[in-house]
Amino acid sequence: MKTIISAVAAAAIAGLLSTAAQAESLILYTSQPNEDAQATVDAFEAANPGVEVEWVREGTTKIMAKLMAEIEAGNPAADVLLIADTVTMQRLKEAGHLMPYKSPEAAAYDAALFDADGAYYSTKMITTGIIYNTAAAMKPTGWQDLAKPEAKGLVTMPSPLTSGAALIHAQTLTAIDGLGWDYYKALAGNGATAAGGNGGVLKAVATGEKAYGMVVDFMAIREKARGAPVEFVFPAEGVSVVTEPVAILKTAKNADAAKKFVDFLLSVEGQKLASKMGYIPARDGVALPQGFPARETIKVLPVDAAAAVKNAEADLKTFSGVFGTN
Amino acid sequence: MLSKLRKNVSRFPVQNRRQTESGQAPAGKSAGACSGTDEIARGGRFGRLRLAFGGETLEGAGRRGEASPAVPGRIAKELNHPSSPDVTEDGLRKPRRLAPQEHGSSPQATAGGEPGWLLPLVFCLVFLLSALPLIRLGWAGLGGLTDGEGAKLLLEPATIAALRNTLLAATGGMAVSLVLGTLFGFALALTDIRGKLFLSFAFMLPMMIPPQVTALAWVEMSGPSSPLLKTLGLAPPLGRPQPLYSLSGIALLLGVQHAPLVFLAVKAGLAAIPRDGVEAARLAGASPLRVFRDILLPLGSPGLVAGAAIAFVSGIGNFGIPAILGIPASIETLPTLIYSRLASFGTSTFGEIAILSTLIAVISAAGLLLQQRMLQGRDYRPLGLSGASAAFSLGRFRLLVEGLLWGVLALVLAAPLLALVASSLVPAYGVPLTLETVSFRAYGEILCRQSLTLTAFRNSLFLASAAAVGLLVITVPAGYLLARRKGALANFLAILIEVPYALPGIVLAVAFVLLFAAPLPLVGLSLYGTVWIILAAYFSSFLAVSLKPVMSAMLQMDPSLEEAARLAGAGLLRRMRDVLLPVIAPAAGASVILVFLIAANELTVSALLWSAGTQTLGVAIFNLDDSGSSDLASALSVLVVLMVTALMAALEISARYMPEGVLPWRN
Repeated sequence: MKTIISAVAAAAIAGLLSTAAQAESLILYTSQPNEDAQATVDAFEAANPGVEVEWVREGTTKIMAKLMAEIEAGNPAADVLLIADTVTMQRLKEAGHLMPYKSPEAAAYDAALFDADGAYYSTKMITTGIIYNTAAAMKPTGWQDLAKPEAKGLVTMPSPLTSGAALIHAQTLTAIDGLGWDYYKALAGNGATAAGGNGGVLKAVATGEKAYGMVVDFMAIREKARGAPVEFVFPAEGVSVVTEPVAILKTAKNADAAKKFVDFLLSVEGQKLASKMGYIPARDGVALPQGFPARETIKVLPVDAAAAVKNAEADLKTFSGVFGTN
Repeated sequence: MLSKLRKNVSRFPVQNRRQTESGQAPAGKSAGACSGTDEIARGGRFGRLRLAFGGETLEGAGRRGEASPAVPGRIAKELNHPSSPDVTEDGLRKPRRLAPQEHGSSPQATAGGEPGWLLPLVFCLVFLLSALPLIRLGWAGLGGLTDGEGAKLLLEPATIAALRNTLLAATGGMAVSLVLGTLFGFALALTDIRGKLFLSFAFMLPMMIPPQVTALAWVEMSGPSSPLLKTLGLAPPLGRPQPLYSLSGIALLLGVQHAPLVFLAVKAGLAAIPRDGVEAARLAGASPLRVFRDILLPLGSPGLVAGAAIAFVSGIGNFGIPAILGIPASIETLPTLIYSRLASFGTSTFGEIAILSTLIAVISAAGLLLQQRMLQGRDYRPLGLSGASAAFSLGRFRLLVEGLLWGVLALVLAAPLLALVASSLVPAYGVPLTLETVSFRAYGEILCRQSLTLTAFRNSLFLASAAAVGLLVITVPAGYLLARRKGALANFLAILIEVPYALPGIVLAVAFVLLFAAPLPLVGLSLYGTVWIILAAYFSSFLAVSLKPVMSAMLQMDPSLEEAARLAGAGLLRRMRDVLLPVIAPAAGASVILVFLIAANELTVSALLWSAGTQTLGVAIFNLDDSGSSDLASALSVLVVLMVTALMAALEISARYMPEGVLPWRN
């Protein structure tokens, strides 16, 4: 018994010490999947010895809720944000929560991919298309296919209430002529479900719980490469896109390390890493990962960022109304 | 609620009663039997038996309207879920039955030597941990109600749907728990089947495993996604919905998770039935069926009712199972609704969240009150002097019953865990597990690459050990105080300690969010977002768990030891060090390990309170699954199940050093 108690006490002390020792590290809030977030952090730490990154992963909306709660409590923990969409970043910028930083790497980027004031920088292109299980009877080629009777009860998609990419995706599709909210109503009428994040959609389709899904490209293409029975389709109408921007919070306690982190993500090395992980790099001249068609063949649907910011709340409500709460 | 709780307060001094009686009556009478000497004098066992045959009323029933049977397993409460305040901490059936004045005559009640600072100190600590967060929650809830938002929220379709789902799932879960728990309770307490200790240990395991791990394991076992079924070629066809993503799926798993609570309640009640009763009935010509119907079932029924109430209330507060099974299918229960609101909309919804939490607290209280009502006037308290518990010889049916029990265990424990292991070993989703495809990638990622794993293990181990060891600092003086003192103030303290434990974890978590969202007054320190807010909530939640073993050891100790020391001039601290601590050391060890075990698996409280660098194991598993990395979630779950089993085994091995009734799976 004594040894148990002393072991427990030792663990307690070790815990205390290590908790105290984390104070100086760079804190990253991200919506990347755990494995990618870890790989990004590992690569950054290797390139910048001495900086230790502590990171938190959740869906964009949850990360934002956490961050806003911390800001309200007067003590935001995060230094750097790496989340799905620029719309959220724009809102943070307008609320005055972001620190402008002119990264020297920005010159290699299309001006549309970063904020002119340096508040945030896009790091990659993530499109949302259609995933289907190879055992499925129908091979979908466009968004309308998911509303067909063949897909009844077999379609799933991420919820905009959880995923930032899913919100932009819904806002993009509903702004397209011939789709709109009627399309989502038709999907809901066809028994489609909308819950959780992209990971859940990937799992549901790959394991055969569902046959079709809307999902971000890299997840589907990567899982296919590992042997999962799935295919990814860039629909004929086009795909929505988010750019996973990075930004530094105005309250960052470790601004120097945060700037290094931004530079690293935008550098050729950081962009090659993104490509290696299966993302379309945002930087010009870095090759696309395996499994993707040529960059110019991917048809990207436009999104009105200003309207997206303005309508986000209302669109969320409409979406919840169509698909039920969650 | 309060008056009911007050009645249960004196549950704590149960062993005290035994000592009191041995002080008042011939020693032989109270030894071994749990019934009171007054009953023996009045009714005699044959009188009781006759009444038992009647099957309706037993002598004394109705007279003590207040008493509900003692049920074991406070400790056994599923992690971060409430159980009835009616449950004693004792593994033994020790009904409370002393009137207050009898307490007053206890020699310990007059034991003096308590320094003046002890009561205020304990009172302050308990008030800070227990009363303050709940007062804050109630205040916020009231504020939300009075500004008119509350009524609107309660009438929202989402709230009503969540309320309905919560009640349906908890009721269904209770039914499943009753079936499973009763089967195992009766079989293990009353029959001559073999391997009881192992069966009991294994049946308790689902309760010690975090609920989200249970849910994950079952998801991996059933439906088209199961790597196990795919490997066996039994997987349902494409597009067949996962059957567990439904209300009945949630109810089934709540039932499995909480069945051990019913099992403990039933078993403890039945184990106290003396063999004499059954033997006498058999001699009088009663068939086994008749004995079962007329003696065992009525005598076991208080345990059933109590177990059902605990299972129901635990189901109301469960977060892990509806989170994993309900959220993908858009089925919200009240705890997941609170979580989603707070996770997606943040602190702007504090008022709503407070109201929803209060709603859960009210339902929990109502469940417990209902149990109280049902037990009124039904106090079947057996008596007997043989000390041996009743047992049926099953004869040629023994193998059948054993087969049934092992079959159930294989289905609810072995198969899901196997599926969990299988899903941690497949290389990608949808790939069957074969010798060619087996991959340890998930383990490599979890163990060697993910810093999250280390962070989560470190945080959980730190939180669990700090809570377990830290709580001793409160529970040793508190236990001493409660063991030595009687009266209103001590009762009130005991209630305060019990309440946070009886409340669902999500309610407590919301209370702590409200309490610490703003920086602390005066010092300006912000606890929100740090590991300390989780630790504070754990202290509050597990205070009762920690107190239990310490309290039983304090009560088992002969006060004359301490009195001798006091007469020799030793002060309280000296007496603590030289007399009390050596005696209670094993119990303190048990207390530490039990709190550690429960806290290490905690999810509900930490799911709302975690932040950068403060993820716990429960949160890590939940978030990994949520982000679509269910292979990693499975791998981490397997590691956690191994840890839990090892801890339980360590407790089992050291069982002989511990006070009786501390380990829930032991008799």
